[in-house]
Amino acid sequence: MTSAVIAAGQINKVFNPASEERVVALQDINLEVQPGEFISLIGPSGCGKSTLLRLIADLIEPSTGELQVNGKTPHQARIDRDYGMVFQAATLLEWRSVRKNIELPLEIHGIRRRERRDKAQAALELVELGSFGDHWPWQLSGGMQQRVAIARALVFQPSLLLMDEPFGALDEFTRERMNMELLRIWRETETTVLFVTHSIPEAIFLSSRVVVMSPRPGRITALVDVDLPRPRKFETRSWPRFHEQVAEVRELLRDAHVE
Amino acid sequence: MTLAALLLAVSLLLRIASLGPASGLLQDSTPGELALWVADQSEEEAPRSLLGQLARRQARDEGLNSLPGERTLVWARLALLALSLAQVACGLLAIVGLVTRAEWCRSALIASLLLTMAWLFLLPPGEEREIHALVLPNGLALLVALMLLPGRATKTLGFVLIISMLVLGVQVLKEFATSRNFRITTPVPAWNYVSRPDLDTALEALATGELDVVVADRRDLRDIMAPSPPDPEVEPDATDWPDLRYLTRLDSNDALFGVLPVMPRFPGRLALATRADGDLTSLRQLHDLRTGVVAGHFAETRYLAQDRQLVLLDMKILNDVNLPHLQQITEALLQPARRNGPLLLLRILAEAAGHTWSEAIFGFFFGASLGFILGTVFAHFQALERGLLPYVVASQTVPILAIAPMVVIWLGAGPVSVAVISAYLTFFPVTINTLRGLRSPHPNAFELMNSWAASRWQTMWKLRFRAALPYLFTALKVSATASVVGAIIGELPSSIRSGLGRAILDFSSDYSAISTPKLWGAILVAASVGMLSFLIVSFVEWLVLRHTGGRG
Repeated sequence: MTSAVIAAGQINKVFNPASEERVVALQDINLEVQPGEFISLIGPSGCGKSTLLRLIADLIEPSTGELQVNGKTPHQARIDRDYGMVFQAATLLEWRSVRKNIELPLEIHGIRRRERRDKAQAALELVELGSFGDHWPWQLSGGMQQRVAIARALVFQPSLLLMDEPFGALDEFTRERMNMELLRIWRETETTVLFVTHSIPEAIFLSSRVVVMSPRPGRITALVDVDLPRPRKFETRSWPRFHEQVAEVRELLRDAHVE
Repeated sequence: MTLAALLLAVSLLLRIASLGPASGLLQDSTPGELALWVADQSEEEAPRSLLGQLARRQARDEGLNSLPGERTLVWARLALLALSLAQVACGLLAIVGLVTRAEWCRSALIASLLLTMAWLFLLPPGEEREIHALVLPNGLALLVALMLLPGRATKTLGFVLIISMLVLGVQVLKEFATSRNFRITTPVPAWNYVSRPDLDTALEALATGELDVVVADRRDLRDIMAPSPPDPEVEPDATDWPDLRYLTRLDSNDALFGVLPVMPRFPGRLALATRADGDLTSLRQLHDLRTGVVAGHFAETRYLAQDRQLVLLDMKILNDVNLPHLQQITEALLQPARRNGPLLLLRILAEAAGHTWSEAIFGFFFGASLGFILGTVFAHFQALERGLLPYVVASQTVPILAIAPMVVIWLGAGPVSVAVISAYLTFFPVTINTLRGLRSPHPNAFELMNSWAASRWQTMWKLRFRAALPYLFTALKVSATASVVGAIIGELPSSIRSGLGRAILDFSSDYSAISTPKLWGAILVAASVGMLSFLIVSFVEWLVLRHTGGRG
């Protein structure tokens, strides 16, 4: 038993191992994430970022290797509802109101109506949508829908938040505002965040550590500690140190690609 | 436009107001016919129909043996007057609305148009045509006024416009066809021909070049000369006339502009004899050639000497047998099914429709449940889908008419067979749409359910089934109408006498000016049953999905 939220040792993932379309998605992944960290996974398409996320979420199983979430198997962690998940598409059910969407995981966990309502309202207020509970998903903008998705992922207070390019479909301004929001939520809830992104500035701005990955086969090529002071503000993006670290990760990504 | 329509409506009102009980127009109109029948029924001791019983009671209350026809006709006249007054009132409202630019102006126009349409179903065609001369321009004027009116196109507006255009279009076309006597023809010049006393002299003249062609009986020519194109079994030199040929192929339907026949068909028993070196290929050439014929033979008396006409346009689809006036249809519905019969056709058809509908509802529920179960099974077990879905699709390529007798043989002639046949048409759209609907959620949605450790049942109920509902209702709407069609078809081999299928068969077998309005009436009733089913499913859909903010 370790105190790490995520402990991955020598993880390999091969799709279609027996057939000609055999793809090595992940090779020799070693990663340890401590409680309260904000980790970004960054790399070009096909480097296995999302695959790694899904392995941790127990939506797929590793081919070989040791993976533990909160000191348990990923399967047990999923059963214990140790993590919440957010995708690039908000994936709200359009026949449920915003509140009902947020209550859905609680419904599945068999929690009573009264408690569901209270928790959903708290989650809505956390993402500053307290008065939007009775709206329909399609009445909200893209950014607001994504906030609802975050509220839904956090409504049962998991210790880990898995995010798969959550702001990839948003415009630049909304994305920057959502970044600030996410940092605030992260601070308030003290969850550990594993964040998949394509955007280097986003990764640097948000993270305590950036995991740089390269494709074919997907593997971790570098770990970058981000030493920008917290709380990070809007101005952080104009600091020279911010640009240095962005440049550093960009170099690493280019090296990974040239190999 | 609206003003013109109003003026026409007012003149119609005046015309209706001037009708006396003895007027033919009143007696022939749909309410007039109904009124006279009610008067007849009030003489019966115990009339079977509801209207007859009401009339009987009314007569008793007044101490009469029966209601006189004049009395009931007054009611009919009052009904017509009320309609006319309503129409004028709507016209006035529309004018006021137009002047004050009020929002309800369009509603008034639509009401006015619908009332105008009603006349086409109530007033008789024929001698009193000047009535239609008032109604048709009135409807057209309102139609144009509605189309010119600015504003958003609503569902109601579209529906009213299209149905009015159809109704008016049919009526205008019928008026036109009647005035042209259904056909437009042009005379064709008579044939130039020479008569010869017998076949031998005619053929001799042909052989010497005196004639170019001889028209004679095919059977006579076949025995004495070779055919053209040649037949390997017939040796030309062995025949009586080695230099002559009779034409076996002649383009007798040689068409002008590719569509219109130049002349009536060349009768099958006639054939043309030409010289072996002749190049006759088309009947049209016959006009320019020296044609010979045997005096007094069929070829002369029944064909060449006849006056003929070129038919440019045959509007036989518009005659009263093929396409009755709208009024004749409503009249047929509101008349006894048999002469002086105790029940109106509408009542009989309504009973038949009720019977067919009960079978259809049974078939619908049976088919829809089967379809839903199949779709659900397919959605969960891909191997079954791969294996069985082709058979499900193939089942729909077999014509229902071929399956129906089989079902009747297996299950016996009865309502169960009909329901099964109806279900056969019903289950397919439900299966396909259930399958599609259950698969419709985004893959991420399934992953989310998984991440919450939802059970298979929870994923099915809270995600898949709910996402499939809109698909399911689309299928159910298709199935609701199909189940009625299936029931009607199923009734035929089951020889069920009390349903709509039998009624349609009866009326179409006796195809005449009297029964086609009845057939159209039956078609209308069958269509309304299907529409009613559709509306009920739509209503249930609204009930179920209204809590989803109009989407989903």
